Amino acid sequence: MMGALATPSVDDDIDLSELVDPARPWQTVVWDDPVNLMSYVTHVFREYFGLARPDAERLMLAVHNEGHAVVSRGPREQMEMHAQAMHDYGLWATVRQEPR
Amino acid sequence: MSDRVVVLEVARLEAAHLAGLVGQFAELLRESAPDDGDPAIARLVPSAYSDDEDAAREFRALTQSDLLDRRASDAALVLASLQDASEIPEDPDDPALLEQMEIRIAPETARAWLRTLAAVRLVLATRLGVVDEDDHDHDDPRFGVYDWIGYRLDGLVAALDNED
Repeated sequence: MMGALATPSVDDDIDLSELVDPARPWQTVVWDDPVNLMSYVTHVFREYFGLARPDAERLMLAVHNEGHAVVSRGPREQMEMHAQAMHDYGLWATVRQEPR
Repeated sequence: MSDRVVVLEVARLEAAHLAGLVGQFAELLRESAPDDGDPAIARLVPSAYSDDEDAAREFRALTQSDLLDRRASDAALVLASLQDASEIPEDPDDPALLEQMEIRIAPETARAWLRTLAAVRLVLATRLGVVDEDDHDHDDPRFGVYDWIGYRLDGLVAALDNED
């Protein structure tokens, strides 16, 4: 933290979007694939994330129609745990920091 | 959800085919090293970071062998539950081939079944070069196997998920 009496300096060249923001949350993303059955993907979302059927179906359709969907947000370690769990089911999942 | 016993009804012949396929899957897992470059194995342990190779490598190092070990133990559970039903006579005309068997699958084993059937389909799809949902060569009998496993997987999902 800058001292209260320091002269604040402004540098117009700094692009804030280029700075790493440690507070930017991480995500687990599930990607659509041509093999896994819609019923199975819905089952996985219900069983693993404990979602109600309509929520799991909505998420499954988002994956299917949009090509991918964010299934969880939070600390990186937890997102990696979820990705590993998805791989265990045969779903294709990745981890990323939330896009700006 | 998913805490009931599922009863799977199959003819001995089908059970034997299933056991054969899952046995091949277990053999593939046993005989291939993850770094062989077999795309079917690679599909079972996909990259978790699409734009960060270091993170992808680290994730792989931490998870790959657990994932593949778990596949192997899943397959072993499935084979064990198929053991009795898949015993078939050698005579192809023996009516016992078509005898309907009931396989009672406990909840934890049912989960192993789902993961295994889903994984077997992933392997088949890789071998068949499925990159699109519409990729389907009706003249290739392997697609028949692919569809059949999908049918069984869908049925098990329905049995586990329905009415709750």
